[in-house]
Amino acid sequence: MAATEGDQFLKQATGPKTRGLLRVIILVLIAGAAVSSRLFSVIRFESIIHEFDPWFNFRATKYLVANGFYDFWDWFDDRTWHPLGRVTGGTLYPGLMVTSGVIYHFLRFLTLPVDIRNICVLLAPAFSGLTAFATYLLTNEMVSSPSAGLLAAAFMGITPGYISRSVAGSYDNEAIAIFLLVFTFFLWIKAVKLGSMFWGALTALFYGYMVSAWGGYVFITNLLPLHAFVLICMGRYSPRLYVSYTSWYALGTLASMQIPFVGFLPIRSSEHMSALGVFGLIQLVAFVEFVRAQLPSKQFQTLLRALVVLIFVVAVGGLVLLTVGGVIAPWTGRFYSLWDTGYAKIHIPIIASVSEHQPTAWPAFFFDLNLMIFLFPAGVYMCFRTLTDEQVFIVIYSVLASYFAGVMVRLMLTLTPIVCVAAAMAFSQILDTYLDAKTPKVDAKTAENGSSEPAKVAAAAVLSDGLRSTRNPLVGIYSYASRVTVVGFSAIYLLIFVLHCTWVTSNAYSSPSVVLASRLPDGSQHIIDDYREAYYWLRQNTPENAKIMSWWDYGYQIGGMADRPTLVDNNTWNNTHIATVGKAMSSKEEVSYPIMRQHEVDYVLVVFGGLLGYSGDDINKFLWMVRIAEGIWPEEVKERSFFTPRGEYRVDEGATDTMKNSLMYKMSYYNYNSLFPAGQAQDRVRNVRLPSEGPQLNVIDEAFTSENWIIRIYKVKDLDNFGRDHHSAVSFDKGHKKKRAAKRKGPKVLRVE
Amino acid sequence: MRSFPLLSSCVAALSSFASAELNHSQPLLSKQVLSGTFTPPQVFKNANLVRTTNLDKSYPRETINVIIENVDSKPQSEYYLPFESSLISNVGGFEAKDKKAPELGNFKVEVVEFDTESTTGFYLIHLPSPLAPKAQRTISITYSLLKSLSPVPAQISQADKQYLQYTFSAYTPSAYVTANQKTKLKFPNVDVPDYTTLPSELNAEKKTDPQRQGSTFTYGPYADIPAGASQPVTVRYESTKPVTHATLLERDIEISHWGGNLATEERYWLTNLGASLKTHFSRVEWQKSQYMNPPTTALKQINIPLAPGVLSPYFVDDIGNVSTSRFRPGARESTLELKPRYPIFGAWNYNFKIGWDAPLSTYLRKISGDSYILKVPFLEGPRMPEGVQYSRVNLRVILPEGATNVKFSTTVPLIDQSTTLHRTFMDTIGRTSLTLSAINLIDDFRDRDLIVTYDYPWTAGFRKPMVITLGMFALLAVVYVVGSVDTSIGKKKNA
Repeated sequence: MAATEGDQFLKQATGPKTRGLLRVIILVLIAGAAVSSRLFSVIRFESIIHEFDPWFNFRATKYLVANGFYDFWDWFDDRTWHPLGRVTGGTLYPGLMVTSGVIYHFLRFLTLPVDIRNICVLLAPAFSGLTAFATYLLTNEMVSSPSAGLLAAAFMGITPGYISRSVAGSYDNEAIAIFLLVFTFFLWIKAVKLGSMFWGALTALFYGYMVSAWGGYVFITNLLPLHAFVLICMGRYSPRLYVSYTSWYALGTLASMQIPFVGFLPIRSSEHMSALGVFGLIQLVAFVEFVRAQLPSKQFQTLLRALVVLIFVVAVGGLVLLTVGGVIAPWTGRFYSLWDTGYAKIHIPIIASVSEHQPTAWPAFFFDLNLMIFLFPAGVYMCFRTLTDEQVFIVIYSVLASYFAGVMVRLMLTLTPIVCVAAAMAFSQILDTYLDAKTPKVDAKTAENGSSEPAKVAAAAVLSDGLRSTRNPLVGIYSYASRVTVVGFSAIYLLIFVLHCTWVTSNAYSSPSVVLASRLPDGSQHIIDDYREAYYWLRQNTPENAKIMSWWDYGYQIGGMADRPTLVDNNTWNNTHIATVGKAMSSKEEVSYPIMRQHEVDYVLVVFGGLLGYSGDDINKFLWMVRIAEGIWPEEVKERSFFTPRGEYRVDEGATDTMKNSLMYKMSYYNYNSLFPAGQAQDRVRNVRLPSEGPQLNVIDEAFTSENWIIRIYKVKDLDNFGRDHHSAVSFDKGHKKKRAAKRKGPKVLRVE
Repeated sequence: MRSFPLLSSCVAALSSFASAELNHSQPLLSKQVLSGTFTPPQVFKNANLVRTTNLDKSYPRETINVIIENVDSKPQSEYYLPFESSLISNVGGFEAKDKKAPELGNFKVEVVEFDTESTTGFYLIHLPSPLAPKAQRTISITYSLLKSLSPVPAQISQADKQYLQYTFSAYTPSAYVTANQKTKLKFPNVDVPDYTTLPSELNAEKKTDPQRQGSTFTYGPYADIPAGASQPVTVRYESTKPVTHATLLERDIEISHWGGNLATEERYWLTNLGASLKTHFSRVEWQKSQYMNPPTTALKQINIPLAPGVLSPYFVDDIGNVSTSRFRPGARESTLELKPRYPIFGAWNYNFKIGWDAPLSTYLRKISGDSYILKVPFLEGPRMPEGVQYSRVNLRVILPEGATNVKFSTTVPLIDQSTTLHRTFMDTIGRTSLTLSAINLIDDFRDRDLIVTYDYPWTAGFRKPMVITLGMFALLAVVYVVGSVDTSIGKKKNA
């Protein structure tokens, strides 16, 4: 803000070189601010990988660094999805890991001993600096005023909508994908403007990088054709558009097909068909244009137009037929849920169970974008006023991204760049108008119109003559008072924006969620580190190949921190396998035990927040397990039976028998009441008093419980030595008041691995 | 790139030459393998032998004070001490010295072993001066036996007492005839439920062994025991303490002349060799017991005393920072109190890494011109009443880039030493690093020093700034050249 003022101030006195230098300095400062505002979690906690998915990316990166690129490409991971395994190399987007790997090897080449973990933790902040720069470039293509670009870069640098996915430690695909998204758009705009094959090829190159980095590349795949299509429909076809689109599509599609996970999708799946269709269309249009140039006959032209429409209809019809015929892959469930927010809940509970796939709550827009959400429509409106080719792009992007952001919380991320650009355009318009120190000279023409009063002049600045306006309205402010007022308020808004962003970043987005922080009575910070305590216990004190069963949320973390094979993880590629785990968790012990034996489960891990009041625990997620299991075994697992007749979900005395007998319930509350005086056991999440008699476990043993009871690990018992079922074995042991027989029953003889 | 290995081998060769000049740089411990028919020549007699076995800590420490007499006709200087070959690999910190003249320092010792088939191995003690015929000399031999205590029962409940069992021979193993001997055992307490009773006929004073006196047991005296005789004895005593054992300790000491800093990093692979849990770990029981704080076999806390002036310590493990540590700086001694993520019960493992910085001036002195002398502790690590045993310690001293003529001396028995190059932080030729390995150490070696001398010309300190400056210039030049290349295909507009 102060920088823009300086820029304006210096405009008269200095040459373009000084301004260029200033701009560079400002951009570097913006990048610095962007990076440093993402370091809250490193300063508060430590350099640690956050949440769930990043742990997989981190593990994959370590694998890449340790084994080289080709092994990574062919990586078959037998330590997840036991016993199925996962073709990891072919089912991931390698861009993120390869980027970190390249950085790692570059630093090693300079003999800088940087830990791969630190590279992974700091990758997202580093790329956010680049994103700010890319936003600057993109905005500069839209408007003539350089201050808009700088403002957009500053907005992009600190807006919570983007920070939410790019704080230090949030080592996810989005960390680099947003930079690639914005930069690809910049290159596209540049290509469309110049009609240059070089820029088109660059667009394709970065598009290929984007494809290798994030599944959200489909957004680009559809947005660029849409832009081209709209331009053609507006009658703005030009050889520039032809050159840039065809060079992007041909090279970009080839590049995207190099990623094994994408493979032949660009020519087979419905999501990619619009790009192909527009590619065909643009050939036709080019042909028509060519013919028209040769034969300037109006009738012929009309005929050709009809032909174009016909071919288009035939093409779409063919597409539909191919889709129905099964040649082209039908839309995926995640795609359907983009159009019908209720779809996932009914058909694919596994997608609905992820919080970031929920529809966005309205306050989230203000929370993530603050004042930009008000400026955003103004910026889009300004684009409508001039409506050059690139501004059409802004309009399309805004409309699409707004819709998607409303459907899925996660897609707020794709909306953020365009909001920053549009808001910066609007804001810089205000500033440019009100910061100009010169008193406007009234043209004779304008004076004749009788609009000499300042108010009308000012009004003219805001109210333009509509879309086809060719006149430049006279813009200028006479009164210093109004200047000071408007500029002053703008400055205050910007300051509040910065405050808001910092507050949101610090409070909402900087928790690693692996480590929890609490305050001791004396105000000092106390770290609750139960996750790592239990994971490290597993890592150190269980056999290398002990299979851990847990709900899929913790799969990546167990793989990353405990380094033990898991049954299911956050990849969720096999719904049946997840449902199997769900069934084991939600059934009686007698039902669960065979399932666990069949899957060679050694340990079962549950998350229990009752002692600490940690609400993200497995009992609260339990209904999703039940629902997913019910989707596969509707006869055996029934969601209804977990609710009381009055429809309540209870864990206390009034819980249903199914609930009380489920393995999950038993594992969560086993032995819990012995912490309290008799009959006083309290669940601090659900805020209920638990039954005085705690649950009994027969087929599993408590193996480890973390300090605050957040993680509980159970060991699956071997078959009884005397061939009894576990229930009678346990009751025999109890009935005779003997000490329990040694749990270790010697070497396993039944199974040979 | 080719010249680096060559250079490193040169440096290594140089340093090995150089170290030969220093008195102690010959390792005190070496190993020779003899043929299977070897028996030590019967040239000595043990006139009187007293062995004291201290079981206070989680490993037995033995001290043998013996008066040896030359019964041969020629002066002799090689004294053999036999061990069972299963035991000899666990003997740690073997040291022998003259009891009457400790100022002579430790004698040179060697491990002598038969082919793998043999059941006996020997430690060979070289007396500094040959013992004349009929002359006597009192020598004091100390060593510890690592991993020689086994918990009986091997599995206990979380709150149970732990009993350790120690098996040894009432007759001190000797390669020579022993005229008179006895063995004293010191237990940590009086709770010794099981011990082997020896009939009174064996005893020279016709007493039934052992003779108990508080927590001390005495076996003997026994008269005229022939060479190689043995009388197995097993004792089992209460010791509800963790048996802390580090399978490996890697210790890096890095010196920075520019930063005036001595950075230490230690990586531990810890195991508790105590009795394992009969049932699984119960958090409820553990939390309840924490109010009373009874003795336990679990390792709850590790206290590491450090030198004063230590800065910025850290405690991390494979998956990140462990927040449950506390650092207490002090004028006389700083203490690093580490709490592992979970209590380490018997058979549980815990790997971790700690590190800290310290001002270099405390450890490094300039002796003359470009020569420096460095004095650092060979071993730091935990100080706990129950003791810590280390199976292997690898110490690496990373000297500044360009340090030459490296010599060292230490009283710790080493098994391996080498000088290599270590490249880090934009080094061009790499830093000279001295790697020393020792096996079977115990925490008593904490106060042993390592003294390293090396030459470091002042010009070497400017190598890195020069290299970085040149690198930057080169980079800018390349950027300039590349930037001025015209790659456009079309013709220039202003041509």
